[in-house]
Amino acid sequence: MYRSWLERDLKRWTTQGLLDGSVSDRLLEEYDSRESAFSLGRTLIIIAALLVATAILLLVASNWEAIPRSLRLFGIVLVIWVAYGLGAVLQTRGFERTAAALLVVGTLAFGGAISLVGQMYHLSGDAAQAMLVWFAGAVTAAALFRSAALTTVAGFLAFVVAGADGWPAPSLAGGPLLWLMPLMAVAVILLVRYTGARRTRHLAYLLLVTWLAIVYGEYEWLSTALAIAAGGALAYLAAALPQSPLHPLARSAGAAPAFYAYLVLLLGLLALHAEYDDAGGRLLIGIVTLAVSLAGIAFSGRDNGAVRYLAYLAFALEVLYLASATVGSILGTSGFFLMAGVVVALIAWAVVVLERRFAGGKRRTGA
Amino acid sequence: MTIARFRFPPLSAAMIVAALQTAVLGYMVEGRATILRNGAEIRLKTQPVDPRDLLRGDYVTLSYPISVIPAAIVTGEKPRESGRARLWVRVRPGDGGDFEATEASFAHLRAEEGSVVLRTLPFIYHGGAEGRIPDRLFVRYGIERYYVPEGEGRVLEEAHNQQALEVEVRVSTGGTPQIARILLRGEPVYDEPLY
Repeated sequence: MYRSWLERDLKRWTTQGLLDGSVSDRLLEEYDSRESAFSLGRTLIIIAALLVATAILLLVASNWEAIPRSLRLFGIVLVIWVAYGLGAVLQTRGFERTAAALLVVGTLAFGGAISLVGQMYHLSGDAAQAMLVWFAGAVTAAALFRSAALTTVAGFLAFVVAGADGWPAPSLAGGPLLWLMPLMAVAVILLVRYTGARRTRHLAYLLLVTWLAIVYGEYEWLSTALAIAAGGALAYLAAALPQSPLHPLARSAGAAPAFYAYLVLLLGLLALHAEYDDAGGRLLIGIVTLAVSLAGIAFSGRDNGAVRYLAYLAFALEVLYLASATVGSILGTSGFFLMAGVVVALIAWAVVVLERRFAGGKRRTGA
Repeated sequence: MTIARFRFPPLSAAMIVAALQTAVLGYMVEGRATILRNGAEIRLKTQPVDPRDLLRGDYVTLSYPISVIPAAIVTGEKPRESGRARLWVRVRPGDGGDFEATEASFAHLRAEEGSVVLRTLPFIYHGGAEGRIPDRLFVRYGIERYYVPEGEGRVLEEAHNQQALEVEVRVSTGGTPQIARILLRGEPVYDEPLY
């Protein structure tokens, strides 16, 4: 997506005479040579790896009796060795894409072998433990091969572990999942840092957000909601304020840390809405939410588009909620829609003004 | 903040990862084969479950009389709060030779002559009013599934519902059970090889 924007902008600058045609060609060339740039070849090769791995897993699942199961297990172990071995050879020769695909096949075959053992011995009830072993195998492989593709596999497996049957679900009380989920998220974030699998970062953050939602579902108390909101606020300030010692670290991870911290803060506030159901409390939480969305726009509006849009959304929803809970009940349905229209128009006007100011600020800082 | 482009030598990485994963698989297999080889042998009656739910995909769901523990046989300290718990269940041979639960405890049960102790999977314990335990506790042991070749599940399913199915189980000293053989009207139909 970014590439097509870049190409369009470069063309425009070239026709306006801002750029030399050869410079714009060289810029595009540089972009295409980057490892993270989208490549159809790499995507197809990973899809091929996933298809092959799926075939192996389905062969296991069908419990096919034509080959004795010990031989089947041996076959899968052989696939693991060949996939990792070939992947390593290709990695040393510089064929990073095909190597990544083979490593993925190896790690998925490991999962297939685990489920084959479960089938051989008719194990039931501890799928979670088996998935955890699989996740650990993927993490080890990702770290040792410094593989971005395997980091992504590990990121998805973390969700599989969390959703696996066998935790005395759905309750977390006293269960290992309570501390396992954040631990897995930290492991994936460290791998993301190490292997450079930047997009996989989102999986880890989403795991943390899901975890907090589950924790709140489990301990649906006022103090939990307050703790989530406070923790989100602290994390957001630590990530977004330039004065914070953690700011450079967070910025090196792009927009994501501040965005997810802000999301947690908003989720905490959402939970607080449910906790306070008297008029006074509702008004207080409403005002806090509006202040938080304005703070989000003020602190991150300029250089974090993700936080800015989330803050706009929170602001708009909060205003509508407050209006429906207070004025809306007096006005009747038609009046409510009229008022909602006016409110949204006012917000739109405010957004336009703000966006213009951010654009102006950028021009000034750029000059 | 990325670490310099250090990378473990790929071939060594491949050897380590493949060897580790093979070792993990070997450990899992050997753990189960050991139970089959050395575990104490017990025979369990199965009891019908909702027939619609029985055959799921390529495994048969089994349920046992010992999956329901009556409060009367629970001895020792009971958990004060609801939460994650395990039970240790002592089984002894009944009249027909099938083993029945005679004692259960939230703490380890000592080995006794003529009995075998099974450990349940963790479950969520909900205490009744005033710290009393509920009349019946529903537990699982990890032997509630039997994988069958495609298409062979129906026969077992029908036998299961006629209560004609028995399961021979080997139990490790730690209380982990492992299905060793399936008996249909007293005759072995599936015999589990060690590997």
